[in-house]
Amino acid sequence: MAQKISRRRFLGTAVTAGVAAATAPVAARAAVHPPGWTGTERVAKIATTCEMCFWRCGVLASVVDGKVLRIEGNPNHPQNQGRLCARGNAGTGLLYDPDRLKTPLLRTGTRGEGAFRPVSWDEAFDFLADKLKKLAHEHGPESVAFFPHGNGARSFSTLMRAYGTPNSAEPSFAQCRGPREVGYSLTYGRALGSPEPVDLEESRLIVLIGSHLGENVFTSQVTAFGTALERGAKLITVDPRFSTAASKSDWWLPIKPGTDLALLLAWMNVLIAERLYDREYLEAYASGFDQLVKHVKDFTPEWAETITEIPAARIRETARAMGAARPAVVVHPGRHVTWYGDDTQRARAMAILTALLGSYGRRGGIFLPTAVKTGSFELPEFPEPKRGRADGAGERFPLAPEELGVTNGLVDATLSGQPYPIKAWIVYGQNVLESIPQPARTIEAIGKLDLMVVVDVMPVEQIKYADLVLPEATYLERYDAPTVVTTAKRPFIAVRMPASEPLHDSKPGWWIAREMAKRLDLLAWFPWETPEQHLAKVVEPSGVNLRELIATGAVSFPGRPYLEDRPPEQRTFDTPSGKIELFSKELADLGADPLPRYTAHPEPPGGFARLIYGRAPVHSFARSQNNEVLNALMSENEVWLHTATAHAWGVTGGQSIVLENVEGIRSEPVLVKVTEGIRRDCAYLVHGFGSRAKGMRRAFGKGASDNSLMSRVSVDPLTGGTGMRVNFVRAAKA
Amino acid sequence: MVTDLRKCVTCHACTVACSAEWGVPAGQGRTHVRTTPLAGTFPDLMSSPMVEQCNHCEHPPCLEACPSGATFKDVAGVVQVDKDVCIGCGFCVDACPYDARFIHSLNRKVDKCDFCAPRRARGEQPACVATCTAHAKYFGDLEDRDSDVYRMVFRDGARRMETHSVAVGPNVFYLGKPEHLDLALTNFPPHPPRLLTAGQTLQKVVRPLLIGMVAATFLGQAIAFFAQIRKGEEEHDD
Repeated sequence: MAQKISRRRFLGTAVTAGVAAATAPVAARAAVHPPGWTGTERVAKIATTCEMCFWRCGVLASVVDGKVLRIEGNPNHPQNQGRLCARGNAGTGLLYDPDRLKTPLLRTGTRGEGAFRPVSWDEAFDFLADKLKKLAHEHGPESVAFFPHGNGARSFSTLMRAYGTPNSAEPSFAQCRGPREVGYSLTYGRALGSPEPVDLEESRLIVLIGSHLGENVFTSQVTAFGTALERGAKLITVDPRFSTAASKSDWWLPIKPGTDLALLLAWMNVLIAERLYDREYLEAYASGFDQLVKHVKDFTPEWAETITEIPAARIRETARAMGAARPAVVVHPGRHVTWYGDDTQRARAMAILTALLGSYGRRGGIFLPTAVKTGSFELPEFPEPKRGRADGAGERFPLAPEELGVTNGLVDATLSGQPYPIKAWIVYGQNVLESIPQPARTIEAIGKLDLMVVVDVMPVEQIKYADLVLPEATYLERYDAPTVVTTAKRPFIAVRMPASEPLHDSKPGWWIAREMAKRLDLLAWFPWETPEQHLAKVVEPSGVNLRELIATGAVSFPGRPYLEDRPPEQRTFDTPSGKIELFSKELADLGADPLPRYTAHPEPPGGFARLIYGRAPVHSFARSQNNEVLNALMSENEVWLHTATAHAWGVTGGQSIVLENVEGIRSEPVLVKVTEGIRRDCAYLVHGFGSRAKGMRRAFGKGASDNSLMSRVSVDPLTGGTGMRVNFVRAAKA
Repeated sequence: MVTDLRKCVTCHACTVACSAEWGVPAGQGRTHVRTTPLAGTFPDLMSSPMVEQCNHCEHPPCLEACPSGATFKDVAGVVQVDKDVCIGCGFCVDACPYDARFIHSLNRKVDKCDFCAPRRARGEQPACVATCTAHAKYFGDLEDRDSDVYRMVFRDGARRMETHSVAVGPNVFYLGKPEHLDLALTNFPPHPPRLLTAGQTLQKVVRPLLIGMVAATFLGQAIAFFAQIRKGEEEHDD
C-alpha cells in the first residue's frame, strides 16, 4: 500500500510541471468556479425565484465574491421542493451571457437597420419622457400601447395606467391560455390560473388532450406527473405526435388535428349513455344537465371515428376508463390553447367533461385555489382614459378581460388607426415577432409608430425596429413584486431578490419604471423608495415574518383544495346560477353555442402538411437559445415528418430543407427528422428557433421559426385568441 | 443508484445540474440523457428514455486500464479518480463499457461521475438526484433494507444494464417495463472494454513513463543534492 501511494505521488510530481502551462489560461476561462473549487466553499446562498420560464420555481443562488456560481432548486420552496429543470440550472448562462444588452441604445439608422449608439440612462430617460409628453399632448395618452409579460412588468403596468392609457395586452392571453380561462370561467365561475390546479399526484387517470407535459417542463407538474405514474395512474394522451407523454401512455390516440371537440363530445356521449357520470355530484352542483344529455345524444363514438380517425372502440374504452377512475381524473386543461379559433368552446367541452366525472374540486381532479391576504399601498385614483380600449377587449371580443387585453387587437388598431391611432409601443419582457403570429403584419404595424421602446435582457430580433432599447437586469440581479400563488394545495408567497449586482449598465425594471414616473410627474403612484418597502407592504397582512420570507424564499399557508374542505354553504360557484353551468346562458346571450359543438376546419391542400409546434424541455419560448449551456444541448430544431410524408416530399432524414407555407412565406433552413411518431398530415417544429437577431451570436440563424410561417390565424370571436394551427407547409423547391 | 425510466421525461435537468455543480464545460457531461429510436410503425410505437453516467461497477474495467493508479474504488464502492495522479492518457475512457468517462477539455484530466462525493460528505443527495424534475432518480445504500434503492432493486425488480458478453456489475439500476428496458439495452448496450495491446502500451505508457522517470530521477537527485547542501546531513530514513 505504501508503495502504491508513493508511486502516485511520484507520477503526480512528474506531470505537474507539464500541465501547469496548459492550465494557466483555463482558470481565466472557467472563472465560473474559482480555482480549486470543490463545491464545499459556498459563501452565501440567496433564496430567490427563477425566471428562466414563467413557472416561478424557488431557487438558491450560491454567491462567492459577488459572482453567482451555481443555481439550485430551493428545498424550502413549497412548489418545486428543491427540484429544478435544465433551464433553471442553467440560469448563470443568462446572467453571464456575453451578448446581453449592456447599455441603453438610441437608434441612429433607419428602423430595421439595427444601428444604434449607446447612451446614458439620463439621455435615454430625457428622450423617452419628451416623446411620451408630446404623444400625450398631441394624440392623447391612449395612443401609447404596452406589451408586458411576467412578474417584472408590474411597475410598468402601474406607470402606464398612471400615464393614462388603457391599452395593455399580454400574449399570455390571446396567444396562450386566454380561451381556456374564459371557457372554465363560463363553466365554473373562475379561471383556472397559473400554475394550473391539477391534482396529478392523487389522480388515478390523467387525460392529456393538448398538453405535452414532459417536453413542456413545469418542474412541479412534472414531479407530480412522475409520482402519479409511479403510483400506477393510467394515462391517455391525445396528440397527433408520439410525444414523450405518449410514450408513457396506456392509450395514445393520434387524433386528426382540429377534431378534439368531436372526441370530447363522443366521450361525453359514452359517459352519459352508459351512465358512468357522477350523478350525485351533478345533482348537487351543476345546472343544464338535461340540455347536455339531449345535445350529445347523437355524438356517438362511431360519429367521432369518421372525424377524428380514432376507432370507436378506443373512444369507448377510454371513456369507460375515465368512468371507472372518477372522480380522481385529471382532464388536463392544457396551457397554450389558441389553435383553431373555436378554442373557448373546446375549453368548455373539457370543463364539462371534468364536471361529468365529478372531478372539479375533488381529490385527484382539479383542486380549488385558496386566497392569500396581501396588502398594497393606497394609490391615487388612476386617470380615467378619455377613450376606451383600442384592442376590442370587452367589445369586439366580448369575453376578453380588460386586465389582460388582446395583443393582436392592438396590432390591428395600429395598422388600421381604428378606433383611434396607436402611435407608440412599449414592449417589456417579450419578443413581439416571436410571441404574436403574423410577424409580417407586426413589422408593418411597427412601421406606423412614432415610437417603439423595448425593455429586455437580450438583443432579441425586435430591437432592430426600436427607437430606444433599455437593458434590463436579469432575474438574478433584481427585485420584482413578490409572487403570490393561490392555485397550490398550500398557497404561498415567494420573493425574487438580487443575487448579484446588475451587470454592465443594466437596471432593474422597477427602477426604470420609477425613474420614468419621476420624469413624467407620476411619482404619486410609486409611494415607496426601495423594493424592500414595497415587499414589506405586500406581505404585511399575511402575518408573514419578512425576515423569514427573505431567508427561506417562500412561506406557505394551509390550503383548502377540495370541496370537502369547505362548509356546504361555501360549495358554490361564481356563475350567474351559482352552479356549474353545463349549459351556458351567457354564451347563448352572446349568440354563441351554449353547448360546445364540433365544426370542421380547413384541411391542408395536396402536398402540404399542417404545421404544428411545441416545446423542448431545455428551452423557453425564444428566450433561451443563446444560453451557452442550453444551446449546447439543443442548438437548433428539426422538422418532424412521417416516413411517408418525407418520401412524398422527396426528402430524407438529416437533410436541410426550407419550409414554405401556402402564402409562399419561407423559413430558414431546417434539418429533417423522419419518424413514425407523427401523423402523415402534420409537420412539427419546436418553437423559438430560427432567430434573426444578429446580436445573439449562438442562436442566430439556427433552425426554423414556426412563428414566421404563421401568416394565417383563425381568431376566436369570443376572446380574440389567435388560432395558430391553421398554417400548412411543404418543402420549398430549391 | 436507481433511475426510474417510467418517470423520466428526458428533460436534462440532471445533466445541466451536474455540469453546473462540477464545472463541466458545455458540450461535455458526466451524465447523458438519450431516447431510443422508435420501435414499431405508426401507431403501434414504443420508445424508452435512458440516463447514463458512471455505473461504479463491481469489476470496473477502467480501474484495470488505468496506468497511473489514479482510478480507485473507495471504501463505499464508489469508483473515483484522483485528479492529482491522473495523467489524462484516456485509456480508462476507452475501457469503460458505458462511455461514462471523458477527458475534461479544460484541465485535460479524466472526468466522470463520483456520485457527487463532496455533496454526500455534506449530507446532501447527488446533484442529479436532488434536481430530477420527475423524481426519477434515487440514491442510497443497497445494504440498507429500509432504503428506497433496496426496495427498488430487491423487490420492484430494478435491473442492471448488462449483457451476457459484458457483465461487469454496474451499480446503477433501472426501473421500467421489461419491454422498455430491453429496448434501451438493445439500442445502448455496453461495449466490451477496449483494452490496450502490448504495442500500444509501449507506445503510449511505457515510453512516456520511462522519460518521466528518468527526468524525475534526475530532478530528485538534484533536489536531494541541494537539500543536503542546505540542511547538512541529517536523518535520512526514506
